[in-house]
Amino acid sequence: MSFLIDLTVSGLAIGALYGLIAMGFAVIYKATGLVNFAQGEMTMIVAYLAWTIATTLTGNVFVVVAGAVIGAAVLGLAIERIVMRPMLGEPLFAGVMVTVALAVILRSSITFIWDAYPHALDLGVGRDVLRAGGLSLRGAQVAAIVTLLGLLAGFYVFFRFSKFGIAMRAVAADDRAALLMGVSAARIHALAWAASSVIAGIGGVLFAMVYDLSPAMFALGLKGFPATILGGLDSVLGSGVAGLIIGVTENLAGGYLTPGMKDIAGFLMIIVVLMVRPFGLFGEREIVRV
Amino acid sequence: MLVPPHPQDGPASSVAAPPQAALLEFRNVQIVYDNAIEAVRDVSIEVPKGQIVALLGSNGAGKSTLLKAMSGILHTEDGSLDNGSIHFGGEDVSHLAPDTIVRRGLVQVPEGRRIFPALTVEENLVIGGYTTAAAVVRERREQAFTLFPRLAERRHQIAGYMSGGEQQMLAIGRALMAKPALLALDEPSLGLAPLIIDRIYEVIAALRRDFAMTVLLVEQNAQRALQIADAGYILENGRVVLDGPADKLARNQDVQEFYLGLSSAGHKSMREVKHYKRRKRWLS
Repeated sequence: MSFLIDLTVSGLAIGALYGLIAMGFAVIYKATGLVNFAQGEMTMIVAYLAWTIATTLTGNVFVVVAGAVIGAAVLGLAIERIVMRPMLGEPLFAGVMVTVALAVILRSSITFIWDAYPHALDLGVGRDVLRAGGLSLRGAQVAAIVTLLGLLAGFYVFFRFSKFGIAMRAVAADDRAALLMGVSAARIHALAWAASSVIAGIGGVLFAMVYDLSPAMFALGLKGFPATILGGLDSVLGSGVAGLIIGVTENLAGGYLTPGMKDIAGFLMIIVVLMVRPFGLFGEREIVRV
Repeated sequence: MLVPPHPQDGPASSVAAPPQAALLEFRNVQIVYDNAIEAVRDVSIEVPKGQIVALLGSNGAGKSTLLKAMSGILHTEDGSLDNGSIHFGGEDVSHLAPDTIVRRGLVQVPEGRRIFPALTVEENLVIGGYTTAAAVVRERREQAFTLFPRLAERRHQIAGYMSGGEQQMLAIGRALMAKPALLALDEPSLGLAPLIIDRIYEVIAALRRDFAMTVLLVEQNAQRALQIADAGYILENGRVVLDGPADKLARNQDVQEFYLGLSSAGHKSMREVKHYKRRKRWLS
């Protein structure tokens, strides 16, 4: 029994990281209709940025996190302005291809700017093991779960009650009609890229705190993407929750079946779920009534 | 404000100082899609303040294209305003951003309503008031609910599940949230039942009467539009072929035949046929 609980809890911890990255995918998809294949790479860059701040300026956790958040927002805004905005109005597929190219460029830039060796992101906190009632988790793992839950609540409020949140949904549904109402799609897209970069970036920093920083970290994107598909590409909240589901499934499959199952369990589940609900667990079915 | 005469104005420049200043004015507008297809050629239209002006014509005549140019969204369909200009309240708005144009008070209800189907009625209205402050939005939303009680009943409903008539009311209510000085409606009667169309037209009349709103009404339904309008323009193949006061247009024989579906006494004399042919030659 305690084995099951252990697997579940550590599954939730890694799933929270997947969920954060999945939310990053979903925010961009929801606002722009694009799948951002550079999400994992952006996550990695933000984590390296945090490491640079920690090793050159100060190891204070608040300063590092604040710096990473600002850096992530700037990264997202810069990508939107320089690379994505010129693609506005072009076919969606072309835009997606641009993100694929961007992914390769960002991935290589790690070894240009930093190096190819793994590093520990040691902020003095987050690595210590917290115990409660037979459960043990690292501080950063707890932080990941808390952050995910906080963001889920925050995004629920944002999309329901904030003018910008509603506008983001409107742009996703019909960007030209939104334009006629005076909603600037470009501004909403910029906001989405910045938000997505920050959310996924926080996930990247927490991941680096628990595990290590390495140029292979972009693979986190490959873990977050299935969560987005499972939750529904257009559902930010669903993507976050689906991250938790994928994390737990992976852990249970790896623990009870064979460790080799760990990597494919999530994808197997996606295939099954998509057969039943092609728009994902929480995705919006398109309203066909005219 | 001094308006320099346009070089290509031609005969229009002889009436450079119109008796009453038009609120919205298309001046010798030429619109081209994909740098190749000319959708609108040399169109001049004036919408005087406080009036309802009908813009009539069949499918593909260029009516919606003019509205897209007015709202500054031509570029989203690879269209461009190659010649002429659009003036609103004396200001050249031809090259303003869409959100700036909405802030100036020039708003349209697009063809096919284009409400946001996955959003609730209230959320649709919030987007309509995107350019205004939150406190004002609340106030105007109540005004929209007074104008359309049906929307108030359905305020929390997902807009996509409402009937066509309700969606059209929502589309108008949404546009009103931006407090337009001029409201353009693109085929508000399209695909609606006659009773609903009556209701929509009542609202349009009320907008002018009670809110002193200027209206540019784009319609295929010429009969309906000319009943309510003060003046009308008939567009064919991207050109204005006829214009004048609405009652005069409604009495015009060609308009009666081609747009109102009326024919004089069932049979046509040769003289009328020639008239028709002459007209067609002049048009093409």
